[in-house]
Amino acid sequence: MAVAIRQPGWYRGAIGTIIGAAFGFGLVVALRAISGLDVFQTEQTGYPHVIVPLITAPFGFLIGFGAFDYWFRWAAGKPTVPEDHSGHGATKWQDYFKFNTDHKVIGTQYVVTTLFFFLIGGLLALLMRAELAQPGSQIVAANTFNGLFSTHAVVMIFLFIIPVFAGLANYVLPLMIGAPDMAFPRLNALSFWLLPIAGIIFLSSFLAPGGSFDAGWTGYAPLSTGAPLGQSFFNIGVQFAGASSIATALNFLVTIITMRAPGMNLWRMPLLVWANLSTSLLVVGATPFIAGAQFMVFFDRILGMNFFNFLQGGDVISYQHIFWFYSHPAVYIMMLPGFGIISEIISTHARKPVFGYRLMALALIGIVVLSYSVWAHHMFVAGMFSWLRVPIMITTMLIAVPTGIKVFSWLGTLFYGKIHTYSTAMLFSLAFIVTFTIGGISGVMLGMIPIDIHVSDTYFVVAHIHFVLFGGSVFTIFAGIYHWFPKMTGRMYDERLGRVHFWGTVIGTWGTFIPMHWVGMDGMPRRVADYASQYGDWNLVISIFAFILGAVQLVFLYNMIVSWRFGPKAGNNPWRANSIEWQVTSPPPVFNFDEIPRVVGGPYEYGTPGARHAIMGGEELEVPEPKPTTVTAPS
Amino acid sequence: MESASIAAHGHVDDHHHGPPEAHQSARIDRTILGILLFILSEVMLFGAFFAAYFFLRVVADPASWPPEGIELPVLIAGINTCVLVSSSFTIHYALEAIKHGNHRGLKLGLTTTWLLGATFLFIQINEYIHIGFTPRDGAFGSIFFSLTGLHGAHVFVGLLLLTFANIRAYRGHFGPEQKDHLGVEVPGIYWHFVDIMWIIVFLAVYII
Repeated sequence: MAVAIRQPGWYRGAIGTIIGAAFGFGLVVALRAISGLDVFQTEQTGYPHVIVPLITAPFGFLIGFGAFDYWFRWAAGKPTVPEDHSGHGATKWQDYFKFNTDHKVIGTQYVVTTLFFFLIGGLLALLMRAELAQPGSQIVAANTFNGLFSTHAVVMIFLFIIPVFAGLANYVLPLMIGAPDMAFPRLNALSFWLLPIAGIIFLSSFLAPGGSFDAGWTGYAPLSTGAPLGQSFFNIGVQFAGASSIATALNFLVTIITMRAPGMNLWRMPLLVWANLSTSLLVVGATPFIAGAQFMVFFDRILGMNFFNFLQGGDVISYQHIFWFYSHPAVYIMMLPGFGIISEIISTHARKPVFGYRLMALALIGIVVLSYSVWAHHMFVAGMFSWLRVPIMITTMLIAVPTGIKVFSWLGTLFYGKIHTYSTAMLFSLAFIVTFTIGGISGVMLGMIPIDIHVSDTYFVVAHIHFVLFGGSVFTIFAGIYHWFPKMTGRMYDERLGRVHFWGTVIGTWGTFIPMHWVGMDGMPRRVADYASQYGDWNLVISIFAFILGAVQLVFLYNMIVSWRFGPKAGNNPWRANSIEWQVTSPPPVFNFDEIPRVVGGPYEYGTPGARHAIMGGEELEVPEPKPTTVTAPS
Repeated sequence: MESASIAAHGHVDDHHHGPPEAHQSARIDRTILGILLFILSEVMLFGAFFAAYFFLRVVADPASWPPEGIELPVLIAGINTCVLVSSSFTIHYALEAIKHGNHRGLKLGLTTTWLLGATFLFIQINEYIHIGFTPRDGAFGSIFFSLTGLHGAHVFVGLLLLTFANIRAYRGHFGPEQKDHLGVEVPGIYWHFVDIMWIIVFLAVYII
């Protein structure tokens, strides 16, 4: 026991949490005593006794858990312990609950954690759909409903979609570029462990007096500056989630730029690597803006500042500008990695090179650049500068061009391809192209000022966002998880259950979100617990499909859990893919490679006899089954 | 002598099968690229507050900026600017010294930088105490304390990094090879950023 307390781990983490919380609490008490205030608030306004421990306790946990041990030693000038790799790799399931620096373990931790939050976010959505199945108030009060949709959005965005892509990329990206690990393994582990902390903070806001944060995931000021305590939980949670994603993005960028295998120049990188390169550029550049916006709201709430207080010279609209300067690029942060996944899967299962590979990569960069210039299309009705409307409308239309390039290139890849649909991953990829295109088209509609004014704050917006985020991002996430499941676990999932999940998800998605366009066009407002009875029939239909959609996710979970444990062995390369991660064992060895592979060609040379992407170390001894062993010189 | 890098370069020993050394596909060291990208995101964080600053000053269009009766101590802040700018030169001197294997110069440069940074912070806190308005006094108070405070927090972090560098310098840990003085170079890059950012904050808040 005494040893367990001194070792980094859960015991020390728990003690650290308590010490951290006590330190924060003591700090508040001491500072209040010094500045002559009542030690405890008689009238609860800012709740400093809750807020400050909420910030310090996570740091206590991380210190106790061992996240900073190495850095503390370094800072104190002690000789650093030569890397013994004891915190690296997993041999038993307990290793997944440690501060592990192996990118494959971290990737798995990410995916499992985020799927857990996906489940929670889904349950919140189903609660809303239960309430909305009929007009009037049935299950939850109007205030609780506000909390439900806010938490649903925040959990899905910050704890599922953004980090699950980071998780998938964490697993496969270093393998794909032939790197032994990420550039900063300890920072990588730290970014993962910030995530459950953010999740706990978001969800524990339900316990706060006044209920969870309920100003929407956008948290517009001044709605948020005057909201009850739960809103501060949102402000703090976003900082942790944001720090996590900035650190991961920085890690990806450095890994991609400095650690590629010999021979892998920019134009031989798989498109997933390109996609994560561009996503990471967005994260590093844009995420600080939401941190800034939430700091300002937090200061207004806690310190009595006046950023958004009109009477004291504050500017309310500035919140929306700063918020959307992050949050519009954020929708591409939630989509670009998915584009990368789809490119990998379509090319592999159509047995053809990606059509227009270079243009695909450049389109990603084009989206990155353009996405910084479209934020104000969320504010057409907000009362912002009227001169900004038309330029923003034009840039919004423009962004459909690189996106269109991607869609047409996928179609071009499929054209005359040998399309194999035996994999659920490919089914999801094909469905993604269709649903995402519809979501993209409704996005262009929303980008037009007159239509936007008409459908602003209606279910049309809800329908659009869910077509691109569920029919878009989540489909690509499913595709990615099915595609790399054999690599990550070494076992094959059940394709039959995969198909049940696929068809259930597609039918559920369309049934849920297509009618929302129609009720939205008719003017049904979003974010309201009750609605006019004329929308009752469609809402019942929407709710029924939503519950179907929710139910089939249980099939997915069952399939994943049971196949992970009992599935048949998958083999190294079940999809006969070219990229490097498929040339190592499943699951890959703890240090990925004995020898860094040499890259000799493009990643998608399917259908070219003898074409190779990479030569693995010591591979000359083996004879790969489906392909001839001759090696073509790089062109 | 220790490697000063905080990145996990594989220390392969005989007893253990470690990872293969990663192929270096760019000329830049990964720790330096890391700190540059971190600075990029820090610039954007400042950008958010500068955006707020110009919204409050230009878009909200108050009657007077700063509000009536508030006089900013431009002279003291100007002296403080000189203090911080000169510290950029001293840390550059420290880095150049260790590149030539001059440990005495390294220690001298790092210590001077640390003292100049601490002086800056001390003067700024003193300025806060005597400035005559609080963060609660209108939008001006909010953004003034937020911008300068955000910068002050960065000076504090920079001082922490310099403290670590000082400890290691006095233990004789750095060397002329780049991989042996990353522990000076990386905090140095950060310190230059803090310095340049102050000039921008100073120009925006005090001068224009």
